[in-house]
Amino acid sequence: MRTLLALLAAAAAGCATVVRPPGPFPEPAPLPEPAARTENLAIAGLLDGARADAAAGRLANAAASLERALRIEPRNPRLWQELARLRLKQGDYAQAESTAARSNSWAGSDNALRAENWRLIAHAREARGDAEGARAALDAAERQR
Amino acid sequence: MFDRSKFWRYLRYTVLTVALLAAGFTLYLDIRVRSEFEGRRFALPARIYARPLELHAGLRIAQIDVVRELQEAGYGQGPREGDPGWFANDNDWLEIAVRPFVFWDGTQPAKRVRVAFEGGAVRAVQDAEGRELPLARLEPLAIGGIYPANNEDRVLVRLSEVPKPMVQALIANEDRNFYSHHGFDLRGIARAAFSFLRLKGLQGGSTLTQQLVKNFFLTPERTLSRKVTELFMAVLLEIHYDKDEILETYLNEIYLGQDRDRAIHGVGLASLFYFGKTVEHLTLAESALLVGMVKGPAFYDPFRNPERALERRNLVLRETKDRGFVTMEEYSKARAADLGVNQKAAMGTSPHPAFLDLVHRQLRRDYDEADLRSEGLRVFTTLDPRVQSTAERVLERKLAQFDRGKIFGEPGLEGAVVITDTQSGEVQALVGGRDVRFRGFNRALDAARPVGSLLKPAIYLTALADPAHYTLVTPIDDGPFVWKSRGAPDWEPTNYDKTFHGAVPLRMALAHSYNAATARLGTDIGVEKVLATIKRLGIDREMQPYASTLLGAVDLSPLEVAQMYQTIASGGFRTPLRAIREVTTQDGRPLRRYALAVEQAFPPEPMYLITTAMQGVVREGTAQSLKNWLPPEAAVAGKTGTTTEQRDAWFAGFTGDHLGIVWIGYDDNRAARLSGAGAALPVWGEMMAALAPEPLALPKPDGIENVLIDPSSGLRADFACSDALELPFAQGSAPAERAPCASALGVAVEGVKQQAKSWMQRLFGR
Repeated sequence: MRTLLALLAAAAAGCATVVRPPGPFPEPAPLPEPAARTENLAIAGLLDGARADAAAGRLANAAASLERALRIEPRNPRLWQELARLRLKQGDYAQAESTAARSNSWAGSDNALRAENWRLIAHAREARGDAEGARAALDAAERQR
Repeated sequence: MFDRSKFWRYLRYTVLTVALLAAGFTLYLDIRVRSEFEGRRFALPARIYARPLELHAGLRIAQIDVVRELQEAGYGQGPREGDPGWFANDNDWLEIAVRPFVFWDGTQPAKRVRVAFEGGAVRAVQDAEGRELPLARLEPLAIGGIYPANNEDRVLVRLSEVPKPMVQALIANEDRNFYSHHGFDLRGIARAAFSFLRLKGLQGGSTLTQQLVKNFFLTPERTLSRKVTELFMAVLLEIHYDKDEILETYLNEIYLGQDRDRAIHGVGLASLFYFGKTVEHLTLAESALLVGMVKGPAFYDPFRNPERALERRNLVLRETKDRGFVTMEEYSKARAADLGVNQKAAMGTSPHPAFLDLVHRQLRRDYDEADLRSEGLRVFTTLDPRVQSTAERVLERKLAQFDRGKIFGEPGLEGAVVITDTQSGEVQALVGGRDVRFRGFNRALDAARPVGSLLKPAIYLTALADPAHYTLVTPIDDGPFVWKSRGAPDWEPTNYDKTFHGAVPLRMALAHSYNAATARLGTDIGVEKVLATIKRLGIDREMQPYASTLLGAVDLSPLEVAQMYQTIASGGFRTPLRAIREVTTQDGRPLRRYALAVEQAFPPEPMYLITTAMQGVVREGTAQSLKNWLPPEAAVAGKTGTTTEQRDAWFAGFTGDHLGIVWIGYDDNRAARLSGAGAALPVWGEMMAALAPEPLALPKPDGIENVLIDPSSGLRADFACSDALELPFAQGSAPAERAPCASALGVAVEGVKQQAKSWMQRLFGR
């Protein structure tokens, strides 16, 4: 499926070159990147540590590691998303929602990531008893496809 | 006559009374000694640390900056076997023997780290065996404390950690019979009594136990009755406690020097203070130096009186050898060693008192003042030593330079600086005045000054949040403006250049900070609406709903301004400014984390637009001169501020990674005759240039499209317009009308573009 999409994208890019008029032209948005495989070993290490801590219930330690990672890569939407997920686990729903929104602000064209953020927001709203808001967030998640 | 039986009765009563009194006194002293000695824990200051440096491949930091931070932390140059706390450099490589440290998330053992640098960045981080390390966290700098009374500072040590030679030297020199006496030393007393009888006053003859009692319980006056009490208490102490307990307490209590207003107590802190290492690593020579200082820490201060200190140390060494504690060989080796002290800049209770003040205030929300001064809490802060020292250095130098060009005399210009991380809201540096070591009026926190044009972005943000009515190219009338309100004099704002500019595009009205246009815009939108925006940006202070508020007739501190601009710098996410990350108990048990918190206060689109407009201030407006310090690619967003009669000069701006606020003016509110661009901006520019900031690159929100605009008409341009600008617009808000310069072909091109776009959308469903 992914190969097919890539082929289509290549074809589209090819067409665009042919018909491209002079002047500014909207670049075709790149395809969503495969799930996080960060290049930065420091980030990878901290992320692994945070996940292990979160799984073991050491939520504050997990948060501290994620914040350390964010100091190294403050624009990495995956780190913000991981932090949002942790806030949800910590029961801090307001922070979960705004942190997921922060992740969205750095997500660029990564629609899969955006969709996941909206699902996190839906969870957070649901947990706060905002059923309508949760539905709206799920709709937003659907629209990212 | 003489009644024998009566005499004996009286005598018996007298003796009994005296005995009872003596017993009572002894009992009283005994209770005091026991309760105070046992109940007494040394009051330990809260210890404040900077952020730890975390080294990883790709980190932009020069070797010299890492070395400087290590030196500040007391790391010595050159390898020392089996003893961490040193670094060694070999061209591009830096080897660090990191001391063990208890962090918030646990103990990090001592470790060896090798770091390679290249082009002002870290190329690789390895362990001692050459294996790659993803991340190496260094020990954070201690940047001060919150101290008990008399600013006593100490680091507690166990007797087992103290090297044997130190104990031996101490006993040989201060109290030879320590292990055999019962609290007092008869020979010593005889000596003291002899000198007392010869009217030379009371002196010497004190055992370690007596010295401890004196420091612990008593006042320093020298009277006979005090001497007797001291003796009693020393004996009682010896009855209740064993020699090792007394010795350990002595080693932690003893006064060993002064660092400005901070008193150095105990061998634990003295080792760190004089030698930059923990006590267990002291050599015989170093131990002897500290022991020698017991007699007079100021007189034998190895920094100020090195010869005297050396002579004293050698005397201590000889005495130690003569008592048979060390061999002739050990003695000769120690005698030949140099003093080995590691002089750092005097720090006092803190080298950065203004930042510490902020930390202290934030701590006071959650902790008792008494606990802060006695419980030995460990506080991990956000201070970045490199950013802080840059801010201090630049502000000091620039103010001195401005003062030279002024004729206002004393006291000179003052200033304040706040620098934060744009993404996390962490305060990296805070300077409260030009005398950066002065603990006093903290202008960054407490000087509320008129902010002038610094509020303007809030007005333009309010406008841009309503794209149906306002875009970056909406014409705003900068003609004469009068605001009439009942009960107040007419308000007629004028422009800085004393002229009016007619209709100007919104973005240019902000770039040039036109007052008349801004006042008109603000009153058209509504003052209340603008005030609501200011509140949402993070200003809690009540503001008067007057039109003049719009042009900055509002007093704010630099820190408050920083909070407001922080929200803009982080794309509309309000992030409370934080100076503290974590707090632990003295032994490292986590107490509290101050977590990163964000709150979306504005949707991304208007934030993107206002930031673009603020980049215009730097590119083509009042802050153009910033190009003298930073290249255009830095894409800085900022705003200048100058108040009536130029009493206050401000600059607020941000790059990708740093937000900085600079205020300059006189404390007594004299007209400084300095503008924001002329005084505050150069400080900002020089600071940021030294920090090599990351360029500001905003993520473009979905609801924003870039459109080519012909600047002269403010209409839609295309490739045919030579000086067309690409400007962002909220989706669908860009002008539809085509500029005169646009090509006739343009219509067709637009059509093709739209078609291509919708084709792509169909294909990818977005």
